[in-house]
Amino acid sequence: MEMATGEPGSPTREGMALPQEQAGLCPTDTGGDELSTGPEEQEELLAPQSNGPMRAADGQGDAQEELSDKELSDSASTDNALEDSSEFGRPLGVGACDPGGPPAPSTHRDEDVTAASWRARRKHIFVLSEAGKPIYSRYGNEEALSSTMGVMMALVSFIQSGDNAIRSIYSDDRKLVFVQQGPLVLVSVSRTLQSEQQLRQELLYVYYQILSMLTQVSITRIFERKKNYDLRRLLAGSEKILDRLLNLVESDPGFLLGAVRCLPLPASLRDALGTLLQKAITPNLVFSILVARSQLVTAVQERAVIEECRLEPTDLHLLLNLIGASSAFQAGEIWTPICLPRFNPDGYFYAYISYLDAECTVCLVLLSTDKESFYAVSDCKKRVEEAMRTQGSLQVLSGGPQSPSYGVGQVGVPDLRHFLYKPLDIPENYRQLPQFTSPELEGPYCSEEEQHRLFDLYHYLHSRIHSTSRPLRLIYHVAEKETLLAWVTSKFELYTCFSPLVTKAGAINVLTKLLRWIKKEEDRLFIRYPPKYSTTPNPGKGAKGGRPDGAENGFFAGL
Amino acid sequence: MNSSKNVDLKIIIIGALGVGKTSLLHQFVHKTFHEDYRTTLGASILSKHIMVDNTPLKLQIWDTGGQERFRSMVSTFYKGSDGCMLAFDVTDLESFESLDDWREDFLEKIIPTEQGFPMVVLGNKIDLNERQVRRELASFWCKEKDIPYFEVSAKNDINVVQAFETLYSYVNCALYCIGLESQSFRSRPPF
Repeated sequence: MEMATGEPGSPTREGMALPQEQAGLCPTDTGGDELSTGPEEQEELLAPQSNGPMRAADGQGDAQEELSDKELSDSASTDNALEDSSEFGRPLGVGACDPGGPPAPSTHRDEDVTAASWRARRKHIFVLSEAGKPIYSRYGNEEALSSTMGVMMALVSFIQSGDNAIRSIYSDDRKLVFVQQGPLVLVSVSRTLQSEQQLRQELLYVYYQILSMLTQVSITRIFERKKNYDLRRLLAGSEKILDRLLNLVESDPGFLLGAVRCLPLPASLRDALGTLLQKAITPNLVFSILVARSQLVTAVQERAVIEECRLEPTDLHLLLNLIGASSAFQAGEIWTPICLPRFNPDGYFYAYISYLDAECTVCLVLLSTDKESFYAVSDCKKRVEEAMRTQGSLQVLSGGPQSPSYGVGQVGVPDLRHFLYKPLDIPENYRQLPQFTSPELEGPYCSEEEQHRLFDLYHYLHSRIHSTSRPLRLIYHVAEKETLLAWVTSKFELYTCFSPLVTKAGAINVLTKLLRWIKKEEDRLFIRYPPKYSTTPNPGKGAKGGRPDGAENGFFAGL
Repeated sequence: MNSSKNVDLKIIIIGALGVGKTSLLHQFVHKTFHEDYRTTLGASILSKHIMVDNTPLKLQIWDTGGQERFRSMVSTFYKGSDGCMLAFDVTDLESFESLDDWREDFLEKIIPTEQGFPMVVLGNKIDLNERQVRRELASFWCKEKDIPYFEVSAKNDINVVQAFETLYSYVNCALYCIGLESQSFRSRPPF
């Protein structure tokens, strides 16, 4: 997923001086006069401004502070809107305070589509074919919605007939966003405050998830042959997969940031596990992925493959969602075709999936291009399992009742409640998976309502930062229940959440300490150098021999 | 005899979407049942150690996803199977009517010996009231094909063990009849 970072924004007058040494900022970034070179100076610089318009009551219209005022009024309305939002009933996929695993997404297949409660849903997602045939609806039975979908298709066609493509419709309290991908049309009807771009991206995730099960070339072929094909025939039973995805997309920061969260581990242990996976290989094995408690431990890639392409966070999210939604009761071994749409939307891998511990928290995923290789791949798993037991690493990963991640308290800074940090300064040639780190959600964000509210705020800040018309580098957002600071530089993207009583000076202080802590811990929080292995006899040749071509490597094994 | 797979017997469970294949398997292996339905992705493979005529054997059971999109994979799943369990849902007539297709498709891909391929049919969900398939109808179909029929409930653990036991005993017997002696089951060919 491409992260649009936009131009260095014109709003250099954010009224804040920031620790240059931490961020490695050059003078142009924040615009001359706001720059400070050290924390002590910062305090002085800021003191006169601390009574400034960042507080709700002050309405001074100084041009310098104009942005802040606007932020404020925006945030005031934001807060009201969020408070009024009635859609809090849906369970979240991840980030729950209770260490009980993610709650199962509730299905709403039997919901009455004529009821007011159905209309009141915060976000509807519809998928239909170009012929207007229903494929999926998040709430309610899609069959009952055929006429509604017919109307949607009519809108699409109407605009198309004018050689145009409908993108969105705005009404008082809702946005309708339309995305067409090949013969599929995806529509979002949303009362959330997400930007059109964000809603569009969500629809793309739904599309990609469908691809992960069917491949693009198959869908194209099917509809070419039969325009009014009922795609539900092939997606039957997969509604839960899409339901779960939609819950995750709204609650897992990984989707928002286009990054993967890693399980914090000592680098030595992570390296040892990587080495282990590097050794447990077999011909045609392309990826080996180890996940513990929904967070990535390590991912190892076949050398020749990785020369040309890389595993993207989107593919990993979709893969993990597929597994989470389908691994019924989670025991045993799974052998299934899977497409990684961002890697190659037209080909299947054959995925071997197995949990290594009795509690089913540590999952090994091995991807092969050979559909007959189940037993060979299963043997790799046995080797991994055995080696891990010898090493004693399985206990560390499955950890028992411990939280999988870390608490914000570990940073050791009061006033800081939560943050999302995504490093951007990764050297290209390391071919890493973009990653992010974030502490466990704790009070006051234990309830689903509050988590929802917080993520809505993150979504909001994200859309402002990445706005195509007017991107920003920094937002300081003061609200009733919390204060948030979002900041993007060339080195990182950061969203922080403070208690509402924090001052600007206090926030900067916290930020400085946080960045220092992350730097100190970075070997533990992130995968720095992903290991590679080679299953081709001549890795050099394999790389130069051209990109993994479907026919040669058996990637194209569509329906 | 599954010489390349390091297991003694491979059994496969096939049938329409949602009939309860996964539940039957989990009831048999783990003695558990979960009400919420989760579609099986591809094939889900469980192993169980069993005793047949005082001989310990390792049974590997392949539970396949009933989704149409996995049909292209099924020949991969079917390969090397020694026995087949056909399942349908007694409250879903269509799942019973499709048994013919499932069975024929399977036999096409596996070349059975003269004795016929070890198979059993399970009519699942007898714990529910909304039956659509009468016992007599299913029995008759099975008798015609010379396949044992079991009415079962994965939820209440009715007849599940018997059905599996019958199948693997049948498999064991069939393999014996082909001329393999019991000690050859013990050999583990090198990988």
